[in-house]
Amino acid sequence: MAALHALNEIRVPLIRDGLVARGTVKPNYINTTKVLDGQSILEVGCGAGLLTEQLGRLGAQVTGIDLGEVLINTARSHLSDCSPELCSKVQYKVEPIDQHAKTNGDLYDAVIVSEVLEHVDDKVALLEACVRTLKPGGSIFITTMNKTLPMWLGGVVIGEYVLNLAPKGTHHWDKMIAPLDVQRILDTMNCQTVLINGSTYDFWRNTWRWINSTQMCYALQAIKQVQTECS
Amino acid sequence: MLVLLRKKSGASTVTQVCGIAKRLLATTSSETTTAKSSPAEEHYDIIIGGGGMVGTTLAAAMTKNTTLADKKVLLLEAAPEFKGFNASGPFLNRVSAINQSSIDLFKSIDAWPRIEAARYKAVKQMQVWEANSDALIQFQHDNFASDVACIIENNLILDAVYARVREAAPNYKVLNKARIQCVSLPRESGASNTRVQLQDGRTFSCELLIGADGGNSVVRKQMGVDVLSFNYDRMGLVANLDLNIEDGCDNSVAWQRFLPSGPIALLPLSDKQSSLVWSTTVPHARQLLAMEPSQFVDAINEAFCRQYPRPDVADKALQAVNAFFGNKGSQHLRQYPPRVSGLQERSRATFPLGFLHASSYVCNGAALVGDAAHRIHPLAGQGVNLGFGDVRHLVKTLAEGAYAGFKLGDTQHLIKYERKCLAKNVPIMIGVHGLHSVYSTQFSPVVLLRSLGLQLTENLPPIKNLFMKSAMG
Repeated sequence: MAALHALNEIRVPLIRDGLVARGTVKPNYINTTKVLDGQSILEVGCGAGLLTEQLGRLGAQVTGIDLGEVLINTARSHLSDCSPELCSKVQYKVEPIDQHAKTNGDLYDAVIVSEVLEHVDDKVALLEACVRTLKPGGSIFITTMNKTLPMWLGGVVIGEYVLNLAPKGTHHWDKMIAPLDVQRILDTMNCQTVLINGSTYDFWRNTWRWINSTQMCYALQAIKQVQTECS
Repeated sequence: MLVLLRKKSGASTVTQVCGIAKRLLATTSSETTTAKSSPAEEHYDIIIGGGGMVGTTLAAAMTKNTTLADKKVLLLEAAPEFKGFNASGPFLNRVSAINQSSIDLFKSIDAWPRIEAARYKAVKQMQVWEANSDALIQFQHDNFASDVACIIENNLILDAVYARVREAAPNYKVLNKARIQCVSLPRESGASNTRVQLQDGRTFSCELLIGADGGNSVVRKQMGVDVLSFNYDRMGLVANLDLNIEDGCDNSVAWQRFLPSGPIALLPLSDKQSSLVWSTTVPHARQLLAMEPSQFVDAINEAFCRQYPRPDVADKALQAVNAFFGNKGSQHLRQYPPRVSGLQERSRATFPLGFLHASSYVCNGAALVGDAAHRIHPLAGQGVNLGFGDVRHLVKTLAEGAYAGFKLGDTQHLIKYERKCLAKNVPIMIGVHGLHSVYSTQFSPVVLLRSLGLQLTENLPPIKNLFMKSAMG
């Protein structure tokens, strides 16, 4: 949990700067805490709302969906206890993404799929539903673990079995996915990948940082292309 | 009684104390106040407890930061409203040696022009020597291209940064005669905000309370952090002196001589005046305070020239070092400070010296800056500069955290401020304390080692530059 809270140090700036780079934020709000004002964001697999709340605090209208009712309830009570002023900015729903996509197509400026892909079997269906909810020109942000030996050794063997950073059985080799595979899937859905960056977790000081290699974890941003008439 | 209660830390004790305080301060209509026992609490994003140099500079720096400029900030100061600074009046006796990084901070927050327009003295060279040997060190930049430090009166700094804060109204508010009585932090009360109660009963809530309230910080005591502190059993004596300097001669050198009882220093204020900072034993300080001005002036002059017993071995070792480095002999480089000719009336004052370091600068909903977190001996002129360094790091950390969506009081992000500050402060604190300990004795082996150390530092540019960089910014 502490590691996920620490992950906000790099994933919030990733999302925030990725949206600023799209040019859809108000210029005089850049560098202030209202920077994401006017942006609508969907977080798929929001869990206890660690990331959702922080995006709301930057002014975005955020919807968090998850399959776990207990987690959503925790998220709701944390919101009303610690940040009641954000209640108008953040809402939570217990809903699978394909159901949400039926009624919310072409709606969001950004969809966040953070630390989710390594837990689902049918990644294509999940990503397809996510992309359906995106506005044309909107961004999908994915953070997950790479399917490599160093990641398996560091994250699963040492992380779960030795250091107990996550409960045993949280991550499986079969469900990890490489960035190139994610990029290929998104290409089939008419999304162009604009950013892939590697990250790693220094467990001794509870800090995430960007690194030059995607051997461990990575973050990816892809833009849903606008449908052109003659395609 | 309140102090005893606070020593036994614990949430219930604090709420008891606050409850007692509330009841003592509440008006007599107790029956009707059960429904609403205190007026509606004002909520601020950040409350800064303490409007001294460091606290007010922190507020001024926040007004200049784009991410923090739109936050609601309250500065609480126990003293009555600051009366301003008179640049044509006599020099005040509380001055500070401000180093280059602190000056850069003032320039970045637009407070420097006001200081420049008033008065300050740039120090071009600093000479440090001692009583028991010939070891001597002179700090200066090559060709005096830049200043070693600037001597600025504390009230002038306050004036410049207060002006900045006043301009940032209405977001930034200053409350005078507001002494903090008690503080309740999120981790104990279970609430999500920090609560502050003043002596007059007003309460405020905030996301982050910054303790800038000096060595006896109330905020630090509430945070319950471990503190390493002890008294040096010394007093610092300050005074403003008139010097016997010929017209046309420059008074740009700062002088410091380590005596067995403590260092005596002359910091230039103007062409003919300097500020005295003499750290000495408590009885001696009281004696000096009570002396007639002419006697006092004589005592100062004598302190700089008086010959003390010197161990032969130290003299021989120094001669060897000088020969090794091919120096013409330290006598050629040695300068003597100007003679003191007079004392500005009513400028003598003393203050106790001590060491203090908090093991942790942050906790959920609170952070410490300046003397509230660390107190050192004035022998290296670092005290307030460490505080200004804290200000720079804290503003940067708060801005980064807020821009990443963190709550202002979230330790997850605040801990970065603590790490950076500890890395910067701890070496200097150990160094200054070490210097005080090493120069407090006349024991020959120690005299030998410290003289060798000083002389080697003087002659080895890499080491000398290291010290200059860390002390002078």
